[in-house]
Amino acid sequence: MKKNFAATALALILLAAPAYADGKLTVSSPQDPGSWDPIDTFLVNWASVGTNIYDGLTYRGPDMELVPGLATSWEELDEGKRIRFTLREGVAFHNGEPFNAEAVKFTFDRLLGEEGGKGPQQSNYTSIERVEIIDELTVDFYLKAADPVLLTKLAGYGGMIVPPKYVAEVGEEAFNLNPVGTGAFKFVSYSPKVGIVLAANPDYWGGAPKIAELEYRFITEPSTAIAELQSGGVDLVIPPTIPIGMIPTIKADSNLELVTTAGPTVYSLRYNTRDGITADERVRRALTMAVDRETIVSSILGGEAEVISQLQGSRSFGFDPDLEPLPYDPDAAKALLEEAGVAPGAQVQIDIRGNDATFNEVVQAVSAYLSMVGVTATIQPYETNVLLNDIIPQGKTGAMFQQSWGGWTFDYDNTAYSMYHSGEKWNPYDSDPELDALLESQRPMTDRAEREAVLQQIAGYAFERNLEMPIYNLNAIYAINTRVKGFEPAPDSRMKLNEVSVD
Amino acid sequence: MAGFLLKRLLQSIFVVMVVTLVVSLAVRMTGDPALMITSGATNVTEADLARIREGLGLNEPFIWQYLNTLAGLFTWDFGRSFVGGTQVSLLIGSALPATLMLAFASLFVSILISIPLGIKAAVSRGKWADQLIRILSLVGLSFPNFWLATMMVLLFSITLRWLPPSGMNGFASFIMPAVTMGVILTATNVRLVRTTMLEVLNSQYIMVARAKGLSERKVLYKHALRNCAIPLVTYLGLQFGGLLGGVVVVERVFNWPGMGSLAFDAVSARDYPVLQSVIMVLSLMIVSVNLLVDIAYGLIDPRIRTE
Repeated sequence: MKKNFAATALALILLAAPAYADGKLTVSSPQDPGSWDPIDTFLVNWASVGTNIYDGLTYRGPDMELVPGLATSWEELDEGKRIRFTLREGVAFHNGEPFNAEAVKFTFDRLLGEEGGKGPQQSNYTSIERVEIIDELTVDFYLKAADPVLLTKLAGYGGMIVPPKYVAEVGEEAFNLNPVGTGAFKFVSYSPKVGIVLAANPDYWGGAPKIAELEYRFITEPSTAIAELQSGGVDLVIPPTIPIGMIPTIKADSNLELVTTAGPTVYSLRYNTRDGITADERVRRALTMAVDRETIVSSILGGEAEVISQLQGSRSFGFDPDLEPLPYDPDAAKALLEEAGVAPGAQVQIDIRGNDATFNEVVQAVSAYLSMVGVTATIQPYETNVLLNDIIPQGKTGAMFQQSWGGWTFDYDNTAYSMYHSGEKWNPYDSDPELDALLESQRPMTDRAEREAVLQQIAGYAFERNLEMPIYNLNAIYAINTRVKGFEPAPDSRMKLNEVSVD
Repeated sequence: MAGFLLKRLLQSIFVVMVVTLVVSLAVRMTGDPALMITSGATNVTEADLARIREGLGLNEPFIWQYLNTLAGLFTWDFGRSFVGGTQVSLLIGSALPATLMLAFASLFVSILISIPLGIKAAVSRGKWADQLIRILSLVGLSFPNFWLATMMVLLFSITLRWLPPSGMNGFASFIMPAVTMGVILTATNVRLVRTTMLEVLNSQYIMVARAKGLSERKVLYKHALRNCAIPLVTYLGLQFGGLLGGVVVVERVFNWPGMGSLAFDAVSARDYPVLQSVIMVLSLMIVSVNLLVDIAYGLIDPRIRTE
C-alpha cells in the first residue's frame, strides 16, 4: 500500500514536471544521517541531500560567495546585534504551505527551543536571542552578541527553513522521515541505510531542475562506490568517499571523470609547545623546515592537495595569501637544532589517528625526513575517538600530534579560536594572552574587511610562533560519469543539483 | 525431558545475557556518543554535551539502560538510534529480513554445490576426482571471502556488466553475495558429505541394495543420500547461526542493507541502542537455533536427555 502510494506520487510528480526535466541522477553518499530534519544531525552527508530539499535565508554555492536565498536582502543594525531580513515573495513549501515570516520565526524558535536542544545544531546558533516578525515578509533577528559567521551559518544545516503547519500536523517523528522544504527537489521516499529518492520541484524559485529524479544511495565502502560508478549504477560519488589510492582507477576509465576543488579540511602536526624539545620555537621551526611537504603532496597525495602555511585553505575567510610556507631546508634545520642545543638522536613521538591510511603514509614520510636531520620519530597510532577525546584534550600527546580540521563555514575563526585560544579543548598546551586578545577582538566585528585583517594577523602570529607544522589542504574529491553535465564541485559537499543534467 | 529442556533454556538465556552485557559494557568504554554527534560542530560547550547526553538517556544508570534494551525483546521497542533518532525496531525490521534472506540463499548455494561434489568424491574415493575435489575444497576454505567478492565484482559487474555490484534489489543482486558466502560453507560441507557418504556406503543395507540389482544412481540418491541427510541437516542448522554472525564483511563489500552493515555503522558511530539491539537479536537467533538442534537431538537420542 505504502509502496503503491509512493509510486503513484512519483508518477504524478513526473507527469507534472515540465518536459525538459528529464532523466535521473544517482548519487553515492557514504553515510545515512538517519533523519532529514535540519536540526537533528551534523553530518556533511545530511547537507549533501538537505541542500536540495531545503533553503536557508542565505545561500552559498560552489563559488563560496554568500548570496540571497529565501531572504532577498538583509541589513545589519544596532552594531551587528540586529539583522533585518526581507523575505522572498511567492515561495511555497512542497506541501503548498506559504513561506513567510512566520515560517522563519517557527524555524528558529524550534531550533533554539527544546526540540533543537536534543540535537547538535543548537550550539551553532546560540548567538541568536530571538526572531521577531515585523510583517509578512520582514523579520528581525536579535543577537546576544554580534556573530560575524551567522550569515554564513544561515545558509545551511540548522538554519534551513521548515514548514510550521506541516511539522505541527505530522509531528516531529514523521517529519524526520518525510521532509518538506522549499528546495529544488521534493522528497519521494526514504529507506533507512539504503537510500533516499527526490523528484524535481518544477516551481522552484531558483529555477526548475534539469533532471526529473534524484536518488542518493548510501554506500560506505569506497571500492563498492567506485564499482557502482564503473558499472553505471551511480553517476556521482561525493566526498568523503574516494581515497587518494583510488584516483588512478578513476582516471583510467574513459567514462569517468575526477572533479576536485580545494576542500575544507587541513592536515597538520601540532607541537607540544609546553614540554620537551618542541617547547623551543627554534626546534619547531627546524622540524617544519626539515620536511619536504611539496614532495609529500605530489607523491603521496597525487597532487590532490596544496601545501599550507596556516591552518586554513585558500577558500577560507581569513586566509593570508602572502604567507608563504617555510621552505624545505634540511641544512638550516640542522643549524637551528644545533643552536637550540638539540643533539642528534633526539626523540619525538607523533600521535596519529589509526584509521587514516593516507595520513599514516604522510607521517611515515615526515618521520623519514626528520631522521635526516637527526631527529628520531616514533609514530603512535590511536583509535580516533581516544585520540580526539582523551589524549589531546588531556594533554597526553607526544611532541607532535595529528590535527585534521575543517568546518563547513570556511571561516578561520572556527579553526583559530578552537586551536589557539587558552583553555580550549583542542589547545592543551599553549596559553598566549596576546593571541587570546586577537582572537576575541575579531568576534564582534561586523566590518568584513576589518575582521579579515585581524584573522590574517592571527594566521601570521601562529606562523611566527610555529605552533604547528601545517602540511596540506586536501581537495574535495568527486567522481562523476561523463554523462553528467553541468556539475560543479562544492568545496563543502553541499551541492545543489538543479543545474545538473544527464545525457 | 522437561528437566532437560529447562536446563538448556536457562543456559541459552544466560548466554544471551552475557553476550549483550559484555557488548554493552565494551562499547561504552570506547568513547562518548555526544562527542561523536557534535564532531564538526563549532562552539560546542560542556552544557551542550550534557544536554545531548541527557536527551540520549546516557545519564541513566548503566544497569537501567541495559535492562531497557533487554525489555525491547518483549515490547519490540528498542529505543532510538543516536544517529538521527530513527526507531531501532524500524532499522532491525528492514535489516533482519535482508540478512536472513542472504543467509538462506548462501546455504542454498552451498547445498547445491556440495552434495553432488561430496557424493562424487565419496564414490571415486582415492581416485583423481576425489583428490581434485578435496584440494578444491581446501582452496575454497582458505579463500579470503572479501578477495573472492572483489574479483567477482570486477568480472561480473565492471567488465561484463551482468550483475549489480552492490545493494539488495531483485534476484540478480543476490547472486554474488550468496556465492561468496556459499563458497566458504561449501568447502566444509563437501568434506562432511564425503565422510558421511563413505560411512553409509560401507553399511550392509547399501550392499543389500546393490545386491538387489538397483542402479548405482538409485542406490546413491535414494538410499545413501537420505541416510546422510541427518548429520548434514544438523550441521547446516549450526552453520546458519554462524552465517548470521559472519555476514559483516560480505554485507559491507556488497553494501547489503543487513544486520552486519547495521552493526558496523553502529560501532563506528557509537550508536549504543542500535549495536546492543543488533547483537541481542543475533545472539538470540543463534542460541535459538542451537537450542532447537539440542532439543531435536534429545528427541532422537534418549541418552542425551539423561546426560
